[in-house]
Amino acid sequence: MAAADSPSAALRRHDLCTRGIRLAGKMRADVVDLLDTYVERQGLDASISVTVVEGVPAAAVEHWDEQTGTQRLLENLAAYRAFRALLAQMLEEQQEQLGEADAALGPALAAVLLQVSAFAYHLEELLRLESRGPPSEEGAAPPALSHLGLFERKLWGLGVLRELAQWAVRSARDLRQLTKPSLGSSSAPGPAESP
Amino acid sequence: SSTDSHIQYERVGADVTMKCGSMDWDTAVTWTANGTDIDESHLNGSYLILKKVDLTQSGQYSCYEGSSWHLKYQTYLRVGTPPKEPVLMCRSNNYPKGFYCSWHLPTPTYIPNSFNISVIHGTREMVCEKDVFPKNRCHIRYLQLFSTVKYKVTLTVTNALGKNSTSVTFDEFAIVKPDPPESVVAKPVPNNPRRLEVSWQNPSSWPDPESFPLKFFLRYRPLILDQWQHVELSDGTSHTITDAYAGKEYIIQVAAKDNDIGTWSDWSVAVHATPWTEEPKHLTTEAQVTETTSASTSSFMPPPTTKICDKGAVVGSGAVAVCWTAGLVLAAYGVLFI
Repeated sequence: MAAADSPSAALRRHDLCTRGIRLAGKMRADVVDLLDTYVERQGLDASISVTVVEGVPAAAVEHWDEQTGTQRLLENLAAYRAFRALLAQMLEEQQEQLGEADAALGPALAAVLLQVSAFAYHLEELLRLESRGPPSEEGAAPPALSHLGLFERKLWGLGVLRELAQWAVRSARDLRQLTKPSLGSSSAPGPAESP
Repeated sequence: SSTDSHIQYERVGADVTMKCGSMDWDTAVTWTANGTDIDESHLNGSYLILKKVDLTQSGQYSCYEGSSWHLKYQTYLRVGTPPKEPVLMCRSNNYPKGFYCSWHLPTPTYIPNSFNISVIHGTREMVCEKDVFPKNRCHIRYLQLFSTVKYKVTLTVTNALGKNSTSVTFDEFAIVKPDPPESVVAKPVPNNPRRLEVSWQNPSSWPDPESFPLKFFLRYRPLILDQWQHVELSDGTSHTITDAYAGKEYIIQVAAKDNDIGTWSDWSVAVHATPWTEEPKHLTTEAQVTETTSASTSSFMPPPTTKICDKGAVVGSGAVAVCWTAGLVLAAYGVLFI
């Protein structure tokens, strides 16, 4: 704990958070562009509703303002590790479906996958500054989609990307919370104010 | 005898028949509207017949027994219309705390209406707490943030003549729209004729600008031109305009947006400012006029002849006459300008 609170650790933490916020912003912009490309390539209606998406970490959270810094980092890391596997699966399916004919979607997916991996690593670095360090990867397998038809798989992919876009916004907010001087890594903020 | 006193709602254009309470049809009665006797031509026996009622016929209608003038029946007629589809909008100007929805009817009904609003988020029904003021508004606290599940808000308006409803569906992020920046101030910068310093504050309704920073859009133009200049600012609440036209009055406005989501606010209240200009010297104070008298009046005087007639520069006896003549001519020239 003492190491985590040392001035150099605090500076390093602040620096990582600041860069992480920029990474998250860039990632979100690229995911939004990727969503446009995906919707177009898959022949989907952009306003189509996707309900529960199997195996995808939901960005939605209750009592967000009451989370500790460590909670934020752990939840983010778990999510991006999951997205890393999900995007890799999407990329593989994409290549199987469209193969060389797809000049736009594959590279865009690969680029976002790279950013997701980089962000996960970034979060691991932040957690190393905490006393507990990052958890080991449990290596949960991505969901099996063989029972889904082609259209359902397309919708599933849309759900993955939409949820990732939400996470990118949430991550920037989470990291901003971590840069607040009143919040230590494991101390909770005060109770949420009523409107 | 008893009097029935109640409110009766009727549509504009409807034909209305009023019975005089329990009185028989053939009983002699007198009807009044707001205390004024109604002509018998509107009566069918003891019934009052009002054809194609309009708004002006709203009022108190009373029925009196013929000879005794006992009040037998009284009603308050309210002429109105059933509600048209209401206009509903929802917005979050205090993200991430919550959002509000407000509504209005496109045309008045002229009779009382009640509003019922329901908010569904996925399978969860949320409570929209009605505001005391304005009355046609309610607010909701977010229970979840960063959800991809849409919100569906349904408003039903009901009155005695009918009901109508409308729904809106939206994402959490889509309705985020801050209020305009506050306390916009624009000042000239001393000794800088092309600069204006602009500052503003975050809208007070935005609860946590540190965690949810705003970015800003500034627009400015001289009053004499229609074209706006625009500057987008990702942080800070001040900006220096460096390309203002010297001496021209400017109009300046600022808008705000969450850094990541939602839409731009409306423009702030406009402020006016004129860049710094140097004071013209001839219009300065008397003391300064005194100091500069010799310098300023010398401009109206012919140049000293001694310079022209510098003996060292003149060669020969004829040069003296030239100097004298030149001095006379120049003196006359100077007089013309006094």
